[in-house]
Amino acid sequence: MSEKMPLLEINDLHAGIDGNEILKGINLIIGPGEIHAIMGRNGSGKTTTANVIMGHPDFDVEKGDVILEGESLLEMEAWERARKGVFLSFQYPQAVPGLQVGNFLRKSVASIRGEDEAKSSNFREKLANAMESLDIPRSFMARYVNDGFSGGEKKRFEILQMILLRPRLAILDETDSGLDIDGIRTVSEGVNAAIRDTDSGALIITHYSRILEHVQPDRVHVLLDGRIVLSGGPELATKLEERGYEWLKEE
Amino acid sequence: MDSASRYLSLGKPNRADHLWRYTSWKKVHPTGDISEMPPLGQPELSLSMIDGSEPPSGIKLEQGIEGNPDFSMDNALTNAFLHASAKSSEWTLVVDKRFSPGKPVILEIRTGDSPSVAHISLDIGEISEFELITKVTGRSEWFGLLRTGQIQNGAIMNDVVLGLQEKGTFLRSDAIAIGRDAQVRAGTVSSGSERTKSDLRYIMGDPGGNIRVLGSILSADSMHIDHHIEIHHEAPETFSRLSWHSACGGSSRTIGTGMLTIRKGSRGADAAQIFHNLLLSESAEADSIPELEVMENDVVGCGHGTANGPIDEEQMFYLNARGFDKDGAKRSLIAAFLNSTLSEMGGVELHKWLVNELSLKLEALHT
Repeated sequence: MSEKMPLLEINDLHAGIDGNEILKGINLIIGPGEIHAIMGRNGSGKTTTANVIMGHPDFDVEKGDVILEGESLLEMEAWERARKGVFLSFQYPQAVPGLQVGNFLRKSVASIRGEDEAKSSNFREKLANAMESLDIPRSFMARYVNDGFSGGEKKRFEILQMILLRPRLAILDETDSGLDIDGIRTVSEGVNAAIRDTDSGALIITHYSRILEHVQPDRVHVLLDGRIVLSGGPELATKLEERGYEWLKEE
Repeated sequence: MDSASRYLSLGKPNRADHLWRYTSWKKVHPTGDISEMPPLGQPELSLSMIDGSEPPSGIKLEQGIEGNPDFSMDNALTNAFLHASAKSSEWTLVVDKRFSPGKPVILEIRTGDSPSVAHISLDIGEISEFELITKVTGRSEWFGLLRTGQIQNGAIMNDVVLGLQEKGTFLRSDAIAIGRDAQVRAGTVSSGSERTKSDLRYIMGDPGGNIRVLGSILSADSMHIDHHIEIHHEAPETFSRLSWHSACGGSSRTIGTGMLTIRKGSRGADAAQIFHNLLLSESAEADSIPELEVMENDVVGCGHGTANGPIDEEQMFYLNARGFDKDGAKRSLIAAFLNSTLSEMGGVELHKWLVNELSLKLEALHT
C-alpha cells in the first residue's frame, strides 16, 4: 500500500435498488497509480459497485462511504463526480442517435478538462493519436454516439474517452467482454497508457483473466454476494478462472 | 366557381374528420369567424444563396401564378381559403431544367407585423438538383402559406420549410406533385408560432418517385402544433418514408397525423411512417395517429408506428457520467433527438445552417 492519501476508499458500503440490498459491506482501498481488479459471478454486485461509485440515481446507499482523494462522493451528482475525475467505462454504453461523436467528445472534454483544453490544437492532436492507437477511423467523428456501433467499437470508444478525459479513477465495467484477442490487447494498451506511471488509478471489473494478463493488476478482489471475500495478487485471477468460485464458498 | 365562392360553399368542417380532430378550423382562421374572408397583407419575399450572395440565373421568383392549381384532394377548405386570400400575393419559384447551384438557396419570407398570406407555386425543372430552405420569420398574428406545384421528372430536391415566427398562428398547406424518378426530401422544422396548423400532401403519380418526409418539431410554453401529412402512391415503384420527431415541453401540445395511401396498380410501392414524441414535462401532450390505406397487394412494404416517452434516464446518466450537468445533458438529448431527422433533410452545409438556427431557438425556449 502506498503511504500517500488513498485515491479511492470504500468503507463498509451497503447499497441496493428498490429496497433490495445488493452490496453488503464493501471495503476497498486503491492507492494512486494502482490498478485493482474485481472478479465475481454474475449477480455478485460488480456492476452495482461501479454504478454506485459513479452515482447512478437508481441506487440507494444505505450505509458506508465512497471517498475520492479525501472527499466523499456520495452527496455529489454523477456529473460532479465525473468532473472530480471519476470515469466509468460502461458495460453497455448507451446509444444516443442524433448526437455526433465529435460534438459529444468536445463537450465532454470541455465539461471535465475545461473549455481551453477542448479548443486547443493539443487536444486535436491527442484525439488523432488516441484514435490511431485504438484503430478508430476518422469517419467515427461524424457518426452518432454508439448508434449502430459493433460491440468492439463501443468498447474502444469508451477507452478513447478515458484517454481524452484523463480521469483520476477509471472504472472499467467488463470492458473486455465481447472483444477478440486483438481488441483486448488494444484496450489494455489504452488502459496502461492512461493509468500506469501516473497518479491515477483503475478498477477493472471482469470475468476473465485475459485482460489482466495485459494489464497486470496490483490487487485482485473476489466479490461474492455483495461482499469482498478474498483479495490477492494477480495469480488469484488465474486460480479463479481455473477453479471457478464454488471453492470460495466452501472455504 | 372561384376559390372564394368554393370556400364559402364548403361550410364548417366536421370535427370527426381526421384532419380537424385536434385543431378546429375556427381556431386557425384569421378572425375566428369562418364565414369571413378578411383582407390579408403581403409578406416580403427574397431569394438568396446560403452565403448571402445573389442566386444564379437558373432560379427566379416571379410574381403571379399561371393557371389554377389542382385542389381535387380533400384539403379543399384550407387550400380554397388560402388560394382566395392570396390573390394579390402569388409567386412562382421557377427552377430551370438541369439547374444545379451547388449551394442551398434560401427563400426568406418576412411576415411583418400584420396578418399576411402567400401562395408559392413550385415549378422545379427536370433533372435539376438543389436544396431550398424556406424560412418564415416575423411578428405577425397570423400568416398563411400555400405551396403548390410540381417537382418534375428526375429532379433531386431537398426542400426544407423552417417556421420561426415569434408569435401568432401559422396556417400552412402543401399540395405538391412528384414527377417520374424525382427524389425529394421534404423537411419541416417548426419552433415558432403559438399555433400551427399544417397540412402537407405529396402525390407520386409517376413511376419511380421517391420522397422522404421529415419533421423536427420543438414546442414549448403553451404552443399548439398540429401537422397532418399525406403521401399518396399512385404509380408503380414509388418509395416513401415519413419520420417525424416532436419534442414537447411546457404545457404545449403537438399532433402528428399521417396518411399513407397506395392506390391499386402501384405495384412495388414501398412506404413507411413513424412518429416519435419526446415529452419534456408532465403537462406536455403529444398525439400521433399514423394511418394506412393499401389497395394494392403487390407492395414491397407498408408499415407504420409511433413511440412516445420522456427523456431516457440511462442516456441521461451516460451524459452525466461524461461531465454534462443536468441542463446540459437535457439540452443535448433534445438536440440529438431533433437532429436525428434534421440531419436527413439535406447536405452538410444545409444541416449545419439548420442546426445553428435551431440551437439558438433551443437556448431561448423554456423547454
